[in-house]
Amino acid sequence: MNALATDVGRQLEDLLSGPVFAREPAERQAQLLAVLKAEIEYAIERHPPFRRYVSAWPIDYRAAQRIADLPYLPVGVFKADPPLALVAPEKIVRTLASSATTGQSPSRVVLDAETSRRMAKGVTVIIRDFVGPARRPYLVIDTPESLAGGAQLGARAAAIQGLRNFATDIVCCLKSNEPDEPQIDEPKLLSFARQVGEGDALAYGFTYVVWRHLVQPLRARGVTLHMPNVRLLHSGGWKRLQEQAVARAAYAAGVAELFGCPAENVVDFYGMVENVGVIYPDCAHGNKHAPAFAEVIIRDPLTLQPVQVGEQGLVQVCSALATSFPGFAVLTDDIAEVIHYDGCPCGRRGIGFRFVKRVPKAELRGCGNIDNLRARAPVASA
Amino acid sequence: MTTSSLIRIVDSPDEIAAAAARLRECMRSRELVAREVIEILERWGAALHGAELDAVPGVPFLRLWLRRGTLEPIVIQELGPSALTGEWRDERGARLRIFPQGVIGHWPAANIEIQPLLSLSCALLGGNASLVRVPDSLMQQTAAMLAKLAEVDGGSALAQRIFVAGFDHTRLDLQRAMAASVDGAMIWGGAEAITQIRALPFPPWARLSMFGPRLSVAAMDGDCWADEGERASWCRRIARDVWQFDQQACSSPQSLFLERRAGADVEAFVRELAAALETENRAHPRHRIHPALTSAICLARASWLLGGAARQAVFPATPDWTLLIGAGADMPVPVQGRTLNVLLVDELAEPIARFDGAVQTLGLAIKDAAKEASLAQAAGRNGVDRIVKLGRMHVFGSPWDGSDMIRPMVRLVRHQAEKQS
Repeated sequence: MNALATDVGRQLEDLLSGPVFAREPAERQAQLLAVLKAEIEYAIERHPPFRRYVSAWPIDYRAAQRIADLPYLPVGVFKADPPLALVAPEKIVRTLASSATTGQSPSRVVLDAETSRRMAKGVTVIIRDFVGPARRPYLVIDTPESLAGGAQLGARAAAIQGLRNFATDIVCCLKSNEPDEPQIDEPKLLSFARQVGEGDALAYGFTYVVWRHLVQPLRARGVTLHMPNVRLLHSGGWKRLQEQAVARAAYAAGVAELFGCPAENVVDFYGMVENVGVIYPDCAHGNKHAPAFAEVIIRDPLTLQPVQVGEQGLVQVCSALATSFPGFAVLTDDIAEVIHYDGCPCGRRGIGFRFVKRVPKAELRGCGNIDNLRARAPVASA
Repeated sequence: MTTSSLIRIVDSPDEIAAAAARLRECMRSRELVAREVIEILERWGAALHGAELDAVPGVPFLRLWLRRGTLEPIVIQELGPSALTGEWRDERGARLRIFPQGVIGHWPAANIEIQPLLSLSCALLGGNASLVRVPDSLMQQTAAMLAKLAEVDGGSALAQRIFVAGFDHTRLDLQRAMAASVDGAMIWGGAEAITQIRALPFPPWARLSMFGPRLSVAAMDGDCWADEGERASWCRRIARDVWQFDQQACSSPQSLFLERRAGADVEAFVRELAAALETENRAHPRHRIHPALTSAICLARASWLLGGAARQAVFPATPDWTLLIGAGADMPVPVQGRTLNVLLVDELAEPIARFDGAVQTLGLAIKDAAKEASLAQAAGRNGVDRIVKLGRMHVFGSPWDGSDMIRPMVRLVRHQAEKQS
């Protein structure tokens, strides 16, 4: 089996090392298309089932003229056990797992050393573009247990770890009494706030953790932290907050009020373990952008073709970073809107999109809806 | 005529009770026998044309269903010839006659456009009046079909016996009022809907007919699918059965079992079937899809191909249709939308032996009549209620789901006259 061709590796490194959001879109897409094709070639040599899938794809990937024509996997296949892997078990250095909702299986992806290195670099260059290169005090809005590394890593821990490269020192401001019900470690938090004062600082927490376990309890007591230059990043989705009817603007305002910083310092980012090394923070104009080594395609559910500007569709994320699992192109269960295909006032080139919602559960179907009948037979063995 | 004039948007339990009272009074003031009903229904069926109606899935079936040639034999089969004219018949020294049960409530499923009309037509044939709750998703199509009834029912003999209500399914007060107002009910839909509606406060005398969730299966013997001369025709029929109702009806085939035939070219059959599906797609393009179904189709394609070495799949770049090809007698979990499993088996008896009562319709293509009869016998024993030729899986008829359609909503009255001395 061939390793990833040297020139492809070089192109990949070029995408990863060059300007993150400044490349001319057509040129960037052409370079990315070439790398992705080479990675698919590499993957089908290592994974016969993936080869079967690529062979059944209605468009020959070798002839594809655009990234949108390449075969993509639906996100649900990453729930497979064992996880889809393009490397031998002994090469796996870490397995990342998504934060599955109750009763659901998590997605899991395997990383070898090379993919792990690219993942760390990918996150770093994206974050650097948004917050600058300087290291600064890092407030983790989570428990100290979340800092533990290891071969198995959840999405929450992976996000926390991904920002370590920007930290001088790290403080976790929650403490764990019982799982999922952490309490504020107030002495630590207030001490951190005092030390930072008006200096730069970075903070990160899962969206609902920040709100439920930090903002709500402190706001109820009228506490503010006076950290005007903190940049707070959060991720993990809005589902739990939508249940509490917390709107995005109200969220940013509430967090900003607590920290005593401008609301624009509160940055939501979108990401998923299946798309390792790529995160999509909101720019100052509220849009998300794809970095040089990745692409986002929003597909019309009716045709699966890319939508026009102003239209909504299923989000497909593409990334050239992972070569330890076939995560080059992943169709998610999320819906987003294309704001433009280039020309965001923030200066970042290429697609600008906004997350809208998770794909809603299909409405109750009628007389053919057999979900609640007796347990069906397992999928036929072939 | 507007939607609002044909379908009343109801907001209070009193409106439903009043509508039921009016329907009951209408029945008392004038009896309508099956032959009169059939005459109006036939005119209605013949009038169901036009650009808007031609685009409603199932309307061609509805036209066929509403023909006198279809309905009269069903009435005679279920109720006897005297029911056509409303006459008493003599039987063992007594007189017997069919009378309507009363006001029948209809809760059609939200996924079959013509189901409100199919359901109410069954009740009307028994001389009943009909109180119908139309799901939001079917409101426009139902109104378009009802408008045609208004055109052909000059004296409003039938229209007066129909009250079509629109209200949100979560309005429990209105659901309860409807249940309390009727003498019988025809309830169609998924398990959750059936369970919820069955629990409503129906009067103790009300008769309930439930048509719950089922799935359907197609099967072909080697003589049929391997026959190059007939292959295209069979594939057109399968494609039609798959296409109608977006594969979400209880009568929609989810899996197609092919009996192995040595030397026969499965790939050629699959190519033909793919072409037939593509033709259906061009002839009857869909204009919407739930994003969750698109996700489910994409996941089914990938899971199938990643899940077994001998599996194949054929699909276009769109979610319009998918063929998942493999082997084995177990039925895969169905996607229930635009996705057909094609499975090779040594003998068709193998999958049929595994049916468990969930299968409603078995669509067959079998050359040998004796073999078909034997498979039908086995299918019936294993819970299948309809065994039909491929291409006719959605053709509505009586019995349905193993039950008569008209008889449950009529009363057979016995007059035992004393003998004169």
